[in-house]
Amino acid sequence: MENDRIPPERRRFFLIIMLSGIGAVLAAAASWPVWQYLAPRKGVGEKEKVTIPRDQVPLGGTHFFTFRGHPAVVLQEKAGVFIALTAVCTHLGCIIKWLPEKGEFECPCHAGSFSPTGTVLGGPPPKPLESYPVSVQDDSIVIG
Amino acid sequence: MAWRKQIVDWLDLRLGIRDLLEQNLTKYLLPRNINIWYTLGAVLITLFVLQFVTGILLLIYYVPDPAEAFLSVTRIMNEVPFGWLIRYLHVVGSNVIVIALLLHMLSVLFMKSYYRPRELTWLSGFLLFNLSLGLCLTGYLLPWSQLSFWATTVATDAAGAIPLIGDEVVRFLRGGPMVGDVTLGRFFALHVMGMPLLLGLLVGLHLFCVRRAGVSRPPFGPDYEPWEPQGSFRHQEHPGGIPFFPHYTTKDTAVIFFFLAALLGVVFFAPWLFLPPGALEPADPFVTPAHIKPEWYFLWAYQTLKIFPSKMLGLGVQAALMTFLALLPFIDRGPERRPARRPLFVACYVLGVLLIAGISVWGHYS
Repeated sequence: MENDRIPPERRRFFLIIMLSGIGAVLAAAASWPVWQYLAPRKGVGEKEKVTIPRDQVPLGGTHFFTFRGHPAVVLQEKAGVFIALTAVCTHLGCIIKWLPEKGEFECPCHAGSFSPTGTVLGGPPPKPLESYPVSVQDDSIVIG
Repeated sequence: MAWRKQIVDWLDLRLGIRDLLEQNLTKYLLPRNINIWYTLGAVLITLFVLQFVTGILLLIYYVPDPAEAFLSVTRIMNEVPFGWLIRYLHVVGSNVIVIALLLHMLSVLFMKSYYRPRELTWLSGFLLFNLSLGLCLTGYLLPWSQLSFWATTVATDAAGAIPLIGDEVVRFLRGGPMVGDVTLGRFFALHVMGMPLLLGLLVGLHLFCVRRAGVSRPPFGPDYEPWEPQGSFRHQEHPGGIPFFPHYTTKDTAVIFFFLAALLGVVFFAPWLFLPPGALEPADPFVTPAHIKPEWYFLWAYQTLKIFPSKMLGLGVQAALMTFLALLPFIDRGPERRPARRPLFVACYVLGVLLIAGISVWGHYS
């Protein structure tokens, strides 16, 4: 027989290579849906807008809410002037709080401070707070 | 491949890995006339692993709360990438497991593989079968659909037929007078933790029994001779048999792939086979859908309860049948295993299977 001339080691090597190849293809085919299933969703809520009743944000006060999956804050700095910012400190991700007596935001973790528009006033935060577009429609504030 | 030899050498020095592999794979000999029915154990292990993996994946998005459960399952099906695939694999996989379990038990019964000294193997397998049905029942409620809610109501209500303590048993199973959020909580805990843990331990015991006693020889062929165990323990050897690896594992793998192909065939082409319309509506505790039926493997029990005028009698018949099956190795103690020489047993076997199948079909159309 022709096959008998091929030594068993070579046949075994061929078999291992073939089985490994098929196994790798099957494993990849099975891994792709699992990876997609587990991977964070892209683009979900990226264009989401949030509407907040105007009376929930008093003059000189704030309202915290969830915006596109992150904590956010809207401030009425002057009558009818609203500013929306991320509430996540740019230093280590703690949630900032509003200090009305000082008129600034402060991070409770390492005392980083931000102006009402989100610029860094002091402390370790490396960059300003991201701001979001705000518009006022009748009795509602629309963010995003 | 020098690196592979080095790894094996390293392990061999510490664990005697070569000896272990030889004993359990290449020098572990199985009967020469071993047949395809013996592969069902490997098929079941594969399917259980698949259930375990898909179950963990489903847990990532599933919310065990009556207000959220149905929505979370809908989200898995419609929004999460490949969520439909994971859920269908889990749902269809559970049904394929029941089919494989039934085939495994029927083949063991037919070949009388439960015969002495394998009573514990049979008993642990029988418990595994019941535990698997328990997993199916508890998992059935979790999507919180009309089907799951009312099927669980009917299934738990059956326990009310137990004399004296029936009502208390029903209350205990449900965690209250009706199926509700407490029922979902305890079924969820049992389904994802309690029962899988017990299943893993029982599978370990079952495999230990199989390996320790040795594989039974199929009772077929002209040179078959009844094997009588001695008074003391003896592992059944099969001199001149085929090695477990690679010969039998190849057959195992082929049958495993056959089952996986069948599973994927249903998942891709007929997934609704195991998901009737009631599974697509959220649970409504105030509206029982018409013609509510349990899963196909509980239909015989459902119909038995309808056939007998007294619910207690129906439940008693079911309990008697299950007890008889569990204790069969202790009742059927003759050494003859060849089906051709056991006409009474084969007649009872065939009639029993036809009866259960017939009652199930009757239950489906009743």
